[in-house]
Amino acid sequence: MSEQTDSTKASAVSSPTGWETLSEYKIPIALVLFVIVLRPFMAHEWVSGYGQIATTMLIFMLFVAGFNLLLGFTGVLSFGHAMFFGIGMYAVAIGISKFQAGFVFSAIIGIILAGLLAYGIGRLIIDKGEIYFAMLTIAFGQALHFIVNYNPYGLTEGSDGISQNAVPVWIESYRGAKTVSFMPEMLNDWYFFVAAVFLAGMVILWQIIRSPFGRTLIAIRENEALARAMGVNTSRYKNVSFTMSAMFAALAGVLLEINDSGAVLETFHWTTSGDAVLMSVLGGMNYFAGAIAGAFVWLFAEDYLTGIEVLQLPLSGTEVPVGDVLVFWKFFLGLLFVLIIIRSPREGVWGFARRFWAILAARIKEVRR
Amino acid sequence: MSSEHAADASTTSKPVLETHDLTKRFGELVANDDVNLRVNDGELRAIIGPNGAGKTTLFNMITGALDATEGRVTLDGKDLTALPEEARPHEGIARSFQSNQMFEDETVLENVRVVVQTAQAGSFSLDLWGNGRDLGVTTADEFIELVGLGPIRDTVAKNLSHGDQRRLGMAMALATDPEVLLLDEPTSGMSPAETAETADLIEEIKQEYDLTVVLIEHDMDVVLSISDRITVLNRGSILATGSPEEIQNDQDVQDAYLGGVKEEI
Repeated sequence: MSEQTDSTKASAVSSPTGWETLSEYKIPIALVLFVIVLRPFMAHEWVSGYGQIATTMLIFMLFVAGFNLLLGFTGVLSFGHAMFFGIGMYAVAIGISKFQAGFVFSAIIGIILAGLLAYGIGRLIIDKGEIYFAMLTIAFGQALHFIVNYNPYGLTEGSDGISQNAVPVWIESYRGAKTVSFMPEMLNDWYFFVAAVFLAGMVILWQIIRSPFGRTLIAIRENEALARAMGVNTSRYKNVSFTMSAMFAALAGVLLEINDSGAVLETFHWTTSGDAVLMSVLGGMNYFAGAIAGAFVWLFAEDYLTGIEVLQLPLSGTEVPVGDVLVFWKFFLGLLFVLIIIRSPREGVWGFARRFWAILAARIKEVRR
Repeated sequence: MSSEHAADASTTSKPVLETHDLTKRFGELVANDDVNLRVNDGELRAIIGPNGAGKTTLFNMITGALDATEGRVTLDGKDLTALPEEARPHEGIARSFQSNQMFEDETVLENVRVVVQTAQAGSFSLDLWGNGRDLGVTTADEFIELVGLGPIRDTVAKNLSHGDQRRLGMAMALATDPEVLLLDEPTSGMSPAETAETADLIEEIKQEYDLTVVLIEHDMDVVLSISDRITVLNRGSILATGSPEEIQNDQDVQDAYLGGVKEEI
């Protein structure tokens, strides 16, 4: 008898905790759904009719999300993340084309190198004030850009970049579409490979942010002086965050190398760092999904808006030539950026969408009543 | 009642917190000059003095927020002078701030909880497992209840009233599990009723957690009613130290500080 009551009690308790678990893991679940939906969505003829862009998007989303661990969740602005992105990219390109090394091996070397470099740089400058840190990271990034451009020992090919035999043998390209030859036919699309790495990377990032370590980073972001006074070694936390963030950038760079079939010097340029900052802010740096939103809006605008020559108004059938205006897509993006900074700099597109959704949900509730 | 208790506490004369010739110079300005403070175990010490007397500078040197130009700080005989600020809470020194300091966008609970986590895990811990929000909640709740913020533990800190933010600061200082608690004007900006409540709260937490308390305070009613001894700072130096009665009757203090205030009023 008593056993029975125990078991009924247990089941009564376990059903709400089942929901709680589900809601606790809603972000990983949403990420899986997002990855499944993104390519068919982009490939649809109404959107861009070109699924490849989804792969590039995932890579940049991972780059920006890693960057946002530092900017959004630790409150440290780095203007040198291009160098870590570039290190990942060049490690694979150099490893494969110059040393006939394996992809995984080269990728791991690249990620570790990026981590070590970030840790070393961080030890030197992480406690410089906000603007000085940003400036110094630009300086380090440009120094590395210079070195790569200089083509030391013929490794980096200078401004030409590395494009000869720079892709692993198991990548097959056919008319710009890449397939992974060791995978079964159903799953051999390059997109799935990127999606798997993206998911793994994003889930690790999500776990870092929710962990006790991540909670401390957020406290540092909120009030660094207070965190220190309460016994938090803020320098070490910031430096480890910088290091992790650099390693995620390198991981994204590794993927970009295959995606672009080689390494290009442009990746190392400080403007790539600037793009990461802008995408992060555009998406909403307070949010985990902000990086995804930012990279999406950015790349979508770049690819989609510049592709439209004429706008067909569906009902009247009139055609408006908009191509001449939309080539200035960066201007419109800039305008959006300015609006975000004026309204609330930490919220971004994602914060705006959330607020809009909240208002909409409240309206619907009202109407139902 | 409270004064009896205070007399009891001051009978132990083992020094806990000491400063030895502590000096801070900002260029030509001498903010603290050879300050020798000696606070006994279980004592409630008030530090008073006119604005610019160097009270907060003294706190900042004790907690390590400022480096001392000269002199030493010791806790239970251990020299803390070379320790960085973030190491000192783990040695047993906690503080609250003159201006409200908090993790603005976090809830009351999360503000206190992250301090509990730090006290338990040390000044750095690469703990990447589990959900950080679950760690140390029970302990955090204890401090939140104690300072009376229990009903609003899920309110975001920046939305609290001034008085509640001051109480939050005290809960966070307590959450570092201190031996010596430094409170920088805990009643500033509070109404008379809140001030009286806070004075009671300070006595309560001092007893409950067996603390030594050092208090910077401008409200003389609070100072005279709860402190065991009072140190008067003037122009960076200690003018006098003694029991509330001694300080009230001290001619130097009256000339330099209390008398001046009375005349102004």
